[in-house]
Amino acid sequence: MFAQLLFLLSAVLTVGCAIAVAVTKNIMHSCIFLLGSLIGIAGLYATLGADFVAVTQIMVYVGGIVILMLFAVMLTGGKDFVSRAQNLLGLAPSMGNKWTYGIGLFVGLVFLLTNVKLLSNIMKSYPVKTFGNEFPSTVSQIGHLLVKEHVLAFELSSVLLLGALVGAAIIARPRKQ
Amino acid sequence: MNQTLVSYLSQYEFYDVLLGIFGKNEGLLAFVIYLLFAGAIVGLCATIGGLGTYAERKISADIQQRIGPNRVGPYGILQFLADGVKMITKEDVMPNTADKFLFYLAPMLALIGVFATLAVLPWSNGFMMADLNVGIFYLIAISSLVGVSVFLGGYASNSKWSMLGGMRGASQIISYEIPVTISILSITLLAGGMGFGTILSQQQGTPIHWYIFHNPFAFIAFFVYFIGALAETNRAPFDLPEAESELVSGYHTEYTGMRFGFFALAEYIEVFVVCGVGAALFLGGGNLPFNVQIDIIPLQLFQVVIFMTKALILYYVVIWIRWTFPRLRVDQLMSICWKYLTPIAIFNLVGNAVWIVVFNGKSIADLVFGGH
Amino acid sequence: MTPAQFDGLMPIVILMGIAVLLFAGGHFVSVLLAPKKPSLLKETPYECGEQPVGSAWSAFNVRFYVVGLIFIIFDVESVLMFPVASIFKELNEVGEGGYALIVFLSFISVLIEGIAYCWKKGDLDWVKSFQVSSKK
Repeated sequence: MFAQLLFLLSAVLTVGCAIAVAVTKNIMHSCIFLLGSLIGIAGLYATLGADFVAVTQIMVYVGGIVILMLFAVMLTGGKDFVSRAQNLLGLAPSMGNKWTYGIGLFVGLVFLLTNVKLLSNIMKSYPVKTFGNEFPSTVSQIGHLLVKEHVLAFELSSVLLLGALVGAAIIARPRKQ
Repeated sequence: MNQTLVSYLSQYEFYDVLLGIFGKNEGLLAFVIYLLFAGAIVGLCATIGGLGTYAERKISADIQQRIGPNRVGPYGILQFLADGVKMITKEDVMPNTADKFLFYLAPMLALIGVFATLAVLPWSNGFMMADLNVGIFYLIAISSLVGVSVFLGGYASNSKWSMLGGMRGASQIISYEIPVTISILSITLLAGGMGFGTILSQQQGTPIHWYIFHNPFAFIAFFVYFIGALAETNRAPFDLPEAESELVSGYHTEYTGMRFGFFALAEYIEVFVVCGVGAALFLGGGNLPFNVQIDIIPLQLFQVVIFMTKALILYYVVIWIRWTFPRLRVDQLMSICWKYLTPIAIFNLVGNAVWIVVFNGKSIADLVFGGH
Repeated sequence: MTPAQFDGLMPIVILMGIAVLLFAGGHFVSVLLAPKKPSLLKETPYECGEQPVGSAWSAFNVRFYVVGLIFIIFDVESVLMFPVASIFKELNEVGEGGYALIVFLSFISVLIEGIAYCWKKGDLDWVKSFQVSSKK
């Protein structure tokens, strides 16, 4: 029961905040709704049993990327951070009449149901690889995979991070006048 | 997988009695136990936060050779209640050019970030609310919500003091997360896991088994962690974002009444959590200083007392440091983090890894005295 | 995971709920008890007694952003190191400690080069290199 409650909370948080990101006029509010959406995604990872990935999501995205985005928005300035354009609900009547919206909704639903039916047949017969009782937690599994099978990816990721660091430092340096 | 408070309590007989009362519904019983325990912890931490303000005033008075609050209650101990009542009855002023939504949200984010860390704090070996496999990692991840709230508090006030304080505060918090995380990585190396249960179980016994005495690199890592944690909680001498003489009050200039109370409460509880984590990781947490084989509830409560003692000793040191050192300038602050603490932390990490391979994970005590 | 294994997440959600409730409760109490007399003087942002000149939401110096960038790189690095550090001791006992050490050290050394580069080129200085700040 709690698993369903957790899933419901995380899903509502994710989707609601994602919609709010696109709809609000104020860009700072969009950043904060993005924060909420990312926390919701971390909750979704937790419901799948991926505890390490959920906490990584919070650490990297919430603790780093959102702050970076907030800094970037402050850096580029802007008079009031409020967009002059109309929001989605204001533009809706001019984008179509009730026939187009109705037909579009119907086609979308049919498409969605067909896809779900096809995918569910595939996913029911997908063989799930489990490690059994050797590794009691996902952290150990990830660690063993990183060191044994994917060690090249692990090392190359450090080179990738170095490239990102050098690139970011060069871009952010003041230009020689 | 994850040990929790409920799975720990389920080995006692009264658990079955309670289960019978709740009609064999394990989920409901777990919820009620967690709710009660969470309420107790929140009450305890709020009291510690309040008493922390009192302790700070008394200790600073002692260092500065004056008396401090001594009117409200015996020795002034109820001062924090008087402060709380004062804050509730103050008017709630919001600048008219402020960003309403973010102004309301900032203290709430700080509270959420700090309260969520209380779930994994190891009060004793059995009384952890949730002994997650990723315990310590989760704790540092969730406390970065406080960094976001500092920035939001500064931004939403639309006052130049607050804005500067908020940006400096956020960049300070994120910078000092790096040495703290790398020091915690050293402990993860030594313990072989991130969960608090794993880390605490290796430090059982006499104090010579604490990780701070494990090898010289872990000893230095404790101080790197402590300094980094001081800076992360915006505590002096790193309190430029809220410095009274520099930025009026930094990111919480425009906050009044209960909202300011929540920011202050979040900060004091965060200091306690950070001290508690330092006590658990480096100083052996709630472990008794002798080996016991039995496992009864009064022994667990004794462990809680030991844990709180260690955490409060570190808290005293934190307060002591505040009133001893002058405040750092913002460029000194950043250069301390990136040019001193981070290289030292990386050096500790490398040293620990080499030590484990060379000496097969034994501590100095094990090497000198040859086993437990 | 069986549903019982989510029990570890229940206290987290409960505590977050308590935080929200505490905030709402405190707000509600202060709405009841605190005076509410807004005046223009009280609601202008504080600027040491003067009228505030200009909005605070102007463009800021780029060094905050550079600090954020460097932080995110090191954050991802430490996150990647956590699983390897968790099983390091285990691997050492099996006898593969040397191999794990080499993997670990080569990962860290690449990032030590990164921080050394930033140090040399002056990206870690707060004051010297960034005399050019963005104008509003």
